[in-house]
Amino acid sequence: MGEMDQMKKEAEGLKSQIEAARKAAADTTLADAASGVAPAPRVQLKTRKTLKGHLAKIYAMHWATDCRLDHAMLMVSASQDGKLIIWDAFSGNKINAVPLKSSWVMTCAYAPSGNLVASGGLDNMCTVYNLKTPVVKTVKELDAHTGYLSCARFLSDTEILTASGDTTCALWDIETGKQKTVFLNHVGDCMCLALSPDMNMFISGACDSLAKLWDIRDGTCKQTFQGHTSDINAISFFPSGNAVVTGSDDCTCKMYDLRSDQEVISYQDAQLNSGVTSLALSVSGRLIFAGYDDFNCNIWDSLKGEKVGVLSGHDNRVSCTGVPQDGMCVCTGSWDSFLKIWN
Amino acid sequence: MDELDETQMKNQVESLKYQHQITREKTSVTIPELVKWVEETMTEDPFLNSELMKDNPWVETGKCVVL
Repeated sequence: MGEMDQMKKEAEGLKSQIEAARKAAADTTLADAASGVAPAPRVQLKTRKTLKGHLAKIYAMHWATDCRLDHAMLMVSASQDGKLIIWDAFSGNKINAVPLKSSWVMTCAYAPSGNLVASGGLDNMCTVYNLKTPVVKTVKELDAHTGYLSCARFLSDTEILTASGDTTCALWDIETGKQKTVFLNHVGDCMCLALSPDMNMFISGACDSLAKLWDIRDGTCKQTFQGHTSDINAISFFPSGNAVVTGSDDCTCKMYDLRSDQEVISYQDAQLNSGVTSLALSVSGRLIFAGYDDFNCNIWDSLKGEKVGVLSGHDNRVSCTGVPQDGMCVCTGSWDSFLKIWN
Repeated sequence: MDELDETQMKNQVESLKYQHQITREKTSVTIPELVKWVEETMTEDPFLNSELMKDNPWVETGKCVVL
């Protein structure tokens, strides 16, 4: 047997052992544990604001961490019209419009401090901008990925995490512009990432249909979650930090429990045959807002696995969703060029 | 997805060995704790506690709404 064949056999063996260990840990189900919990009520939300200003498909949006500042609720959106727009979601006003060097943008992010935003896409770069200078300035162009930038998230004003179509994720030092750590393990394009509430870990979702949990500081892949049968486009930590929710082109969302290392529930419906593009959780994690290719955002009861509402109003694919830190609303962004604020 | 080369395959095997080692807690412990966490936090969730949504910044406080 050649070395490659031997290693493939070893890998398969280890995967089987991991599956066996998971089965051994599975002595109850979420259905059983939540049987005494009252179902979440039907959720009927209204569009409170429609943010108009982009001239092309919106690909991403991100709430500022401390978004309620001076009666404003700040968020950033990215469109293939070649702009990032900083909005006050409360008034609907545009605070800033940042022109992008490359209009093929796929992601945007707001730094926790509120000082910086970032964007990236088919230019393979992550560009960081300072919002606090009299005119918005480019701080750094982070250039080392060999594939598109699908997602970026700031840890602070000096560090940012990126996910790329080159199958890697990376932690960057913004000041030097260099990668501090490269996270290697996925075998397909990385499509999304999310930071743990304590900022020590992050999870990534990829076109290899796997979600991976990483230690930010030592660069290792701690756990791998399987079950999806297509690209994972959206991922989020459960607010407790002990579970992860994913959304996929296979039309389902799934919750994975970190402590028992396995899938605990799948959110799906026989009538739903559109891919999930984005997702966000309410502050308790009880509600999952999932954006789909079929122009809707479905609301799931995370404990019961039932659909409890729909946000209909966009005229094209919902590409991004986000719930701000105070949990007072949900924002959806769409290829129809609009963002909507709902509660 | 391209076929892995020898180095990548070696890394995959090493990583699988590492991932295999973790302690997996029983779901009879972890899931009820997750459910309890959610139930306790629901009181702070504006979508599920209407008291909190009374503070809704987008809803007009006046009596008349211009259509």
